[in-house]
This record gives sequence, C-alpha cells and structure tokens, in this order.
Amino acid sequence: MGGNAMQPLANITPLKSVPRAGAIEVRSVGQVFKTSTQDVVALSEVSLEVKPGRFVVIVGPSGCGKSTLLMMMAGLRQQTSGTVTINGAPILKPDPDRVGVVFQEASLFPWLTAEENVEFPLALRGVAKSERRAKAQDALRLVGLDGFGKRHPHELSGGMKQRVSIARGLVQDPPVLLMDEPFAALDEQTRMTMGDELLRIWAATGKTVVFVTHSLTEAVYLADEVVVMSPRPGRMVDHLQVPLARPRTYEMLSGDAFGRLRDRIWRHIKKSA
Amino acid sequence: MTARALRRLIVMGLIVLWEVLPRSGAIPELFLPSLSSTLLSGWNEAAEYRQALAVTLSEVAISFAFACGGGILFGAVVGSLPRPRILIMPMISSLYAVPLVILYPVFTVWFGIGPESKIAFAAIYGFLPTMLSTAAGIQTIDPQLLLAARSMGATLSQRLVRVIIPAAIPTVLSGLRVGGALVIVGVVVSEMLISSAGIGYLISRYRTILDTPHVFAGVLLVLAMAVAFNAAIKWIERRCAIWRTGTQGGQRAAEEIAASALQPAT
Repeated sequence: MGGNAMQPLANITPLKSVPRAGAIEVRSVGQVFKTSTQDVVALSEVSLEVKPGRFVVIVGPSGCGKSTLLMMMAGLRQQTSGTVTINGAPILKPDPDRVGVVFQEASLFPWLTAEENVEFPLALRGVAKSERRAKAQDALRLVGLDGFGKRHPHELSGGMKQRVSIARGLVQDPPVLLMDEPFAALDEQTRMTMGDELLRIWAATGKTVVFVTHSLTEAVYLADEVVVMSPRPGRMVDHLQVPLARPRTYEMLSGDAFGRLRDRIWRHIKKSA
Repeated sequence: MTARALRRLIVMGLIVLWEVLPRSGAIPELFLPSLSSTLLSGWNEAAEYRQALAVTLSEVAISFAFACGGGILFGAVVGSLPRPRILIMPMISSLYAVPLVILYPVFTVWFGIGPESKIAFAAIYGFLPTMLSTAAGIQTIDPQLLLAARSMGATLSQRLVRVIIPAAIPTVLSGLRVGGALVIVGVVVSEMLISSAGIGYLISRYRTILDTPHVFAGVLLVLAMAVAFNAAIKWIERRCAIWRTGTQGGQRAAEEIAASALQPAT
C-alpha cells in the first residue's frame, strides 16, 4: 500500500530534531613554543569537558592562550602534549563535519557574495550547486539575513558580516561551533544585539558552542559555563557555572548575581595581570 | 564642473593649442608641426606607418607575454616562500635603480638588431614590476582568510585556487599596468637606439632628416598605443572592482611599486 511505503520516510523526520552529539574533551593539553634561546610555555595542563549543547565561554587577558586552545579544538593547531577529542574521536586536522569555526570580522572572502561565502565550505567538497544554494538560503534565513544573499561583504554592516560568518559556520550542520572573539570588532550596541541573536540561534539549533572573548560582561551574559584563563604560562584558573535564567535579558546585567559572577572573574584576571 | 569634465576640457584645449600655436607662427613648425600637418604627413605615408606599427605591436605583445608570464610565476614563488623572498627581493629592488637601457647595446650583440633583442630587453624591463607586484599581492593576503579556508577543510590546491589567486588579482593587475607600460617604453626606446624596423625606428630616422611632422606622427601612434593599453587594463580592473575593496593592503603595495617603477624609466 502507498501509505505503508511512506512509513520509513515519516520516521526519519523526527530523528533530525534529536540533538546531535557535540561533546568536547580536552585532556591535559600543553603547548610549548621552542625559540632559539628558550622554551615558551603557551598552554600548560589544560583540561576541560564540554557537554553536548552547552554554551561555554573562555575568557582571559591576551596571551593567556584562549585562542590557541580554540584553534586546537578546531584542528588548526597541534598541541605538544595531551589530547582534544570531539564526539569521542581525536581532532588531528580541521573536520568541518564535526566543527564549524567563526572568526573575527575580516574572515569573509571579499570577492564572493554573502551567499557564495556561506556556500564556500560546501563548494570545497563538491556539493551540487542547487543543493548548495538551498542550504545557504536556510543558513542565511536562520541568522536573519534573508534577502541579503546577493550582497558582497563590503555592502554589509559589521554585524551583518558576522551573521554571514555564523551562517557559514553552521551551513554544514556540525554539532560544535567554535567562535574566536567574533564580536570583538563591533561597536557596543551591535555587540549586544549580536549576543542576543547568537543565543537565539544557539537555542534554535542546539549546538555546542565554545566562545572566546576578553569581555567579562559578554562572557557572563552568554554562557552556561565560564572558563577563566591566565597568562604566563597559559592555564585554567577557574571554571564557573552561570546559574542565570534563560532567556537572558538586558536587566540581568545590573542584577546582583550577574555582578558577583563578573567580580569573581575580574579578581582572577587582576591577580594575573 | 566635475573633475572628469575638466580633464576632458584640458585635453581639448591642448589639442586646439597644438593646432593654433604652430599655425599662428608662435612656435616654428620645425619645432612643433601643427596637428593637421602631423596627421596629414602620417596619412601620406600610411603604408610605412602601418608596417612599422605591426612590427612594434608584435614585439610589444610577445614581450608582454614573457613579462607577465614570468613576472606572475616568479612573483608567486617569491611571494609565498620566505627563503627566496629574503634572498631575491633585495637584489631585485636594487636592480630596479639601474637604468636598464645601458644594457641594450649588449642585447644587440647577443640577439642581433632584429625583433629578438627588443623583445628580450622589453620583457626584462616589464618583468620587474609585475613580479614585485605579484609577490606583494601574495604576501599581503590576510592570513585570516587562509585560516578560515583551512578550518573549512580546504586542501592546499583549493586554497591556492579559491583564496590565494582571487585575493592577489587586484595587486597583480596593477603590476600588469606598470609592467605593460614599461614594455611599450622598452620596445620603442630600443627601436630608436639600434634597429631597422618599427615605430621607434621611424621616429629616429625622420628625426635625423629633420622631418618633424613625420616624427610627430610616430609619436602620436606610440601615444595612442599607450592610451589604448591603459584603457584595456582599466576596463579589466573595473570588472574586478569587488576585489579591490578586500585587499587594500595589497593595493597600496602595488601603488608603491608603480610609483618607484616610473622613476628610473630610462
């Protein structure tokens, strides 16, 4: 019967909404740069476990190795010791199936349109044009840029460019999204809006997000958990839970709970400065 | 009045002056023949000029192909590998300060007085800025773009084709513009020095017999050639306008090279 033949298809659809695994495990990772005169320890014995679907922010002053750690999770840099595993398998090189990366502002290709930028990772793997376009459209709609696909990056505002970057990071539907100071180049107002947008997208997709920033307010506002790092040598000095309710609101910024969390992070950072 | 309209007006004014000043006797016709008599004498010897133009154009085309091909290839290698860059760049830069035209007599000894010596000389002349621009264009590519491509799983060849080449295009183009202009200079100058054919040769020959209208007819042809070439490159650059916004660092580097290239022009 026709109705029976359709049955398996109907079973596939709900599978899609089940959150995909996105567990990250960092086990005693270290990074040493050898120079001609001495060895510089950039990261020392960092261990961190990120559960699927969590929003984790890594915060710390420059030189604390937070970006280095993120690059290792992305497979863009190899640690000298320890292991990084995502979905139970070690990350040895970039793997766009498991990890999407969003960089600072200038990482869109200026000669491609927004749409083509989002399609780029699909084009690298030879996905057919029509499928690429459809997926890029979906990703652009998700980040609120429906109708802007034909524009080039220089025709977009800073916030819009970062939306395109996020769409590009999500287009292959990886379970993990890594973000390296993605809003650092934006002005304060845009930054706040983009924070809310990111939380909305995160809630809609259920990705595991690891977000690097040097802004304490941004860290507490966005995160489920904040990891605090300190320089010379780069190491983890605190790992705190953020018990604030979701959705986060602007009013929380002036609340006591928010202030206490931010103070705690600030004391760690002041000590290391 | 827009700058564009003003520019056109100035050009028109110069053309009118070129006609009026010699005719009125303010400038002797031996020094500057009027535009009309220049055009007329060119027209009277049209066959001779056409033949000379064909020779010069073919020399320019071949030299340009060598200069561009070699310049882009070497520039890409030197720009992407640090060791050759450290080794070669200082040498190339100092070579730049040498007026290469002093080498031309040597080229005629090696290649004869036919087109070969012109092509060799002009190709080397145009090679330098093309190579320097390409190297600069590749060096100034934003490493963030390459990192982003790598994070998406791009292989080395994919990075070359999809990131490095498109990002370097605007800088390479400005290098081609300077390189092409120098190729034209190189061909015409070498024809004027030692030759038996081409526009440079015609200019030089008519000069020795003080036939200024014919000299200026040749000059006009060279001028037209340079203007046409520049317009062609500008057209290509406009088609790549989107590129320019992205790599302003490379653009600036190319302009510096262009500025320094025009200094030692023979």
